[in-house]
Amino acid sequence: MTNIALPRRFRLPTWGLTLGVALIAELVYFSLTTRQFAGHGNGILILTEQFVPIGILALGAGVVILTGNIDLSAGATASLSAIVVGTELKHGTGMGLAIVIALATGVGFGLFNGLVVSLLGIDSLLVTLATQFIATSLATSIGGESPPYGFSDIFQRLGTGLVGPIPSALVLFLVLAILTALLVTRTGFGRALTMIGYSRSASDYAGIRTYRTLVLSFGLSGLFSGIAGLVLAAYYNSARDDIGTTLLLPAITCVVLGGVDIFGGKGRMAEVIVAVFFLGFLSQGLLISGRSSLTVTMITGILLIIALVVKLTLERRTGESMGSALRRLLSQRGFRRPMRQR
Amino acid sequence: MSTQTTEARLRQPAEPTVYRRSWSAVFLRRELLLLAVMVVIVLASVAHHSYFWTSRNISFILADSMVITFLALGETFVLLSRGVDLSIAPIMGLSAVIVGFRAQDHGMTLLPAVLLGAVVGLVLGLGNAVLVAVLRLPPIIATLGTLSVYGGLQFVVTGGDQVDHVPTQYTDLGSETIVWGIPTILLIGVAAVIVTALVLRHTRFGRAVYATGNDLEAAYRSGIRTNQVIFACYVICGLFAGLAGVVYLMRTGSAVATTGTDNNSNLNAIAAALIGGTALTGGRGSAIGAIAGSVFLSLTLTAMVFAGIPAIWQPAGVGAAILIAVLADGKARRQNNTFRLGRLRLRRSS
Amino acid sequence: MRVNSTDEAHEPKGSGLRYDAVDISKKFSGVEVLKSVSVQFHAGEIHTLVGENGAGKSTLLKVMAGVYSPDGGSLSLGGVPQRGLTPREAQSRGIYLVPQEPRLMPDLSVAENLYVGALPKGRLLVNVDWRKVYASADAVFSRVGLKVNPRMAAGRLSIAQQQLVECARALAHDCRVIFFDEPTSPLTAHDSERLFELMNDLREQDLALGFISHRLDEVDEVSDRITVLRDGGVVAEAERGELTRQELVGAMVGRSLAVTQRAQHAETPGEVALDVQALSCPPEVNGFTLQVRSGEIVGLAGLVGSGRTEFAEAVFGLRSPTAGRVKLGERDITARSPRGCIDAGLVYLAEDRGRNGVFADVDIARNVTAATIGRLPKWIGTFLRPRQEQLVAQQAAQQMDVRAASMELPIKALSGGNQQRALLARWVAAAPKVAIFDEPTRGVDVGAKEGIYEIIESLTRNGLAALVISSELEELVRLCDRVYAVYEGRVVGEVTGDDITLENLGHLAVGAQ
Repeated sequence: MTNIALPRRFRLPTWGLTLGVALIAELVYFSLTTRQFAGHGNGILILTEQFVPIGILALGAGVVILTGNIDLSAGATASLSAIVVGTELKHGTGMGLAIVIALATGVGFGLFNGLVVSLLGIDSLLVTLATQFIATSLATSIGGESPPYGFSDIFQRLGTGLVGPIPSALVLFLVLAILTALLVTRTGFGRALTMIGYSRSASDYAGIRTYRTLVLSFGLSGLFSGIAGLVLAAYYNSARDDIGTTLLLPAITCVVLGGVDIFGGKGRMAEVIVAVFFLGFLSQGLLISGRSSLTVTMITGILLIIALVVKLTLERRTGESMGSALRRLLSQRGFRRPMRQR
Repeated sequence: MSTQTTEARLRQPAEPTVYRRSWSAVFLRRELLLLAVMVVIVLASVAHHSYFWTSRNISFILADSMVITFLALGETFVLLSRGVDLSIAPIMGLSAVIVGFRAQDHGMTLLPAVLLGAVVGLVLGLGNAVLVAVLRLPPIIATLGTLSVYGGLQFVVTGGDQVDHVPTQYTDLGSETIVWGIPTILLIGVAAVIVTALVLRHTRFGRAVYATGNDLEAAYRSGIRTNQVIFACYVICGLFAGLAGVVYLMRTGSAVATTGTDNNSNLNAIAAALIGGTALTGGRGSAIGAIAGSVFLSLTLTAMVFAGIPAIWQPAGVGAAILIAVLADGKARRQNNTFRLGRLRLRRSS
Repeated sequence: MRVNSTDEAHEPKGSGLRYDAVDISKKFSGVEVLKSVSVQFHAGEIHTLVGENGAGKSTLLKVMAGVYSPDGGSLSLGGVPQRGLTPREAQSRGIYLVPQEPRLMPDLSVAENLYVGALPKGRLLVNVDWRKVYASADAVFSRVGLKVNPRMAAGRLSIAQQQLVECARALAHDCRVIFFDEPTSPLTAHDSERLFELMNDLREQDLALGFISHRLDEVDEVSDRITVLRDGGVVAEAERGELTRQELVGAMVGRSLAVTQRAQHAETPGEVALDVQALSCPPEVNGFTLQVRSGEIVGLAGLVGSGRTEFAEAVFGLRSPTAGRVKLGERDITARSPRGCIDAGLVYLAEDRGRNGVFADVDIARNVTAATIGRLPKWIGTFLRPRQEQLVAQQAAQQMDVRAASMELPIKALSGGNQQRALLARWVAAAPKVAIFDEPTRGVDVGAKEGIYEIIESLTRNGLAALVISSELEELVRLCDRVYAVYEGRVVGEVTGDDITLENLGHLAVGAQ
């Protein structure tokens, strides 16, 4: 019998650490350069209300991307959920019931995606591309000529209320984020998710319930879309049929920036959460310092590309992980750019 | 069918074997199936509304599909090489805006306009190509990034203005018809499709695109410069998107900061290509499929209007069309992954 | 036997074309795979490279075919030095590598697959001359003895036909040097024969052929010259007939090994553990009936494509059977999902380890526990405990004698044999009553095979019922108490005890009674 070493107990994820440092740097920078950014103490916290819906969508998108699939319908589902809850509230349904109906719509859409993807075996990109259109149509038709607006104060508190100094939306996001991170890293379901992401067929042969896991992961994404829709409706105090659609790309950007491999398997939800804050504060900071929203989009896009290029080239060049490559870079020993072949 | 004929021939090895193409495969092509479905839709609509079958309406449908046709042609190259380009909408928008301003403010004529549009598309496509083929980013992420970047650029270029009165020579070309009510713009589109089809079917480059999409490693081993092929595909895709911008100007005579991105051109173009039988998994598809898919989309949406279905359901119609198209494509299914373990399966590139 | 002989003694025949590799070295992420290896390939000769997995045979051929660029050393073809070779240039200079698994482009026509990198130009200079493509493809196909419609999509060919198309591709480009990287591993015995005939033909046509094989009887059959590699270096070189098989194996593993030995299985087997009645899953499986008792090792002999693997997959719930019964002890597990089978006590070690076995990028610990996630120690019955999980995995891996530095290494960093042991650890951790081992030693070093046999034997001594599927008849002879012969999806014969001989099995496996 030979001895196989066990890994060291604690290990900080390098990519997440890099993101965290960047996050702190940007917070300091904006606080120093833009007076309104820090506001009166809790200003930074209030800013989070702006990007919490993106974060919630990113959690769902992250779960799906970990399985090696993608959910393009998440944004449209969020719109649908916002419209549904708005319409129900306007029709006088009780708030609890309205929320349940909206969430059920989201979950239902997600499960439908999951069923088509896993049972019919069609690429998720195609399926969710199609259902995205369907969700949009549904949202528009339910919303009708004049989309619902003007909800009760209690409902609005979901988007703009405070729990002590902390916005309730942020609290909601943090709770969801922690739950998702736990679900992915510490449960059998989460393990199945990542294993499917690494190799679908090897998972089948290892007795992992791939069908069930896939359907549930899409259902989860639908649930998160539903929640994001609720928060959006509450924050804007109205529900439009494109309220969530524009959030899809930033959400996927967060997931990818958070180091999740678009082909599935690799990635940590904790890093995605850091990426959500990093991107969110970056865009809010830029907006407050007077940049247009389109500049912000552009910068987000450029950032996404640069981050990926850096990450992938480091990994490819040296055939080792980002972490060890960085560690070697920092230790300044033996890091020489390998000769390009030929 | 054709397998049987091959086997039958195999049993008589003495005589020199003469192989012919299998006609069943030709008839079962996606383009022809689509044509059949379109005929049914037309017949049903005509039965419902005789106005449907007027040269005016039909030529409107055809002319209307040309923007998407150009986009789908470009997307076909990228899809064939086993990639995806999500940034064609802002490329089209940028081209429309840049060309539009030159035409509106400086009275640029049509020929330089087409050239300018092509150059804009080429340059932006080059950006994607560098990211995907040189820096080796996953295409979906790289073009998601450039989608944001190009979309932002479009706003910067417009600077709050919009193009609303281009010289009439543009819009004339977009709306006038020649003999038998055939719209001029359709001829341009068909010409582009024919050129593309010839390139894809009968040139070494075209075949290299198919080979690369089919199996990157095998293609590389057979001496194809796969990286260059992929690079070229993204550049060509940009080129077509740039041209689509000029076509858009011809059709509408206007362009704004959100042209392209606001009406889901990206997804519509991908949908058209997919409906036309191009596979997301690379290596399967055709230029004819791109135009067939675009016309099909345009026809279906118009037929929906005629059938009294409100316009808000149009996106759902597109969605349903994608699902049906993919369901009809047996090879697109994943089933052989677990349950029919065929040895030859497409492998993930990169 | 000449060890490290020089090439001067050799007299080139025929055209005298030779392809030399001199002092080739190659590193992959710091690991030296080739350490200044020199070999020569001569026209009119089949030169076989043998060695254990990881000895560097494939890498050497890939360097010589331009797939990898060497870190040191030089290549010269007919005296002309070759620098910065790519597959494209290699092909244009007449060097071609037939890969282990044929990689054709499934949606392109067969003819196009031959020429796609260099399609002939038509009259317009930009177009492809299709008529010429089809005509010349026809001509090449008749040279390799392949009868298919050149317009047919390549994806519809059988695996053997595809392998022949790969060979045809080399001829289509007028290659003078052709390398075969384990071409026979996906082929049946019959198809391999055909390939050897083709290789002999090509030798007569004065081509230089390089060949890699794991099957020593093949090596004896075809090679004119044998080079043995071990740990990235040449350890022996010999002409035909100079080395006995024992010496060959000895040179490969660095020690001498007994090749075939019938093991003694003294104990009487127990209850029927796996009982399959007339299982059908068309088209591959047609009424499969067999029984395995606990404590018994039963073999399935048959050609590739005889439905052995498909049968196992149907039992394990990866395919839906249309008829028949599968009973595990007293329990009916027909058409259960893989999960259901594992929980009932049936496990299946898949044939294609790279695709269906390991999660290549995942650490060893999670690979070992992949099939038993539900049974891992959990906190409040829900949350995994990584430390506990790693301990469980470590214990299981050490029991199977996995050699690895750390449990957090990705499993792809291990050798084939160690990967297989880790997978065995995965399945043993599921505490099975019945285990199906599909090609348990495929891609495993000669020296490491014995260790895997011993693991299977020790498991059966503890009451496991084992079903071993193998193409290597020697393996079945070495291991089994009883062997079923499989042909066209059903059992066609059964041999027990001392009747299990290579001759009997070989006879039964091709369908002869």
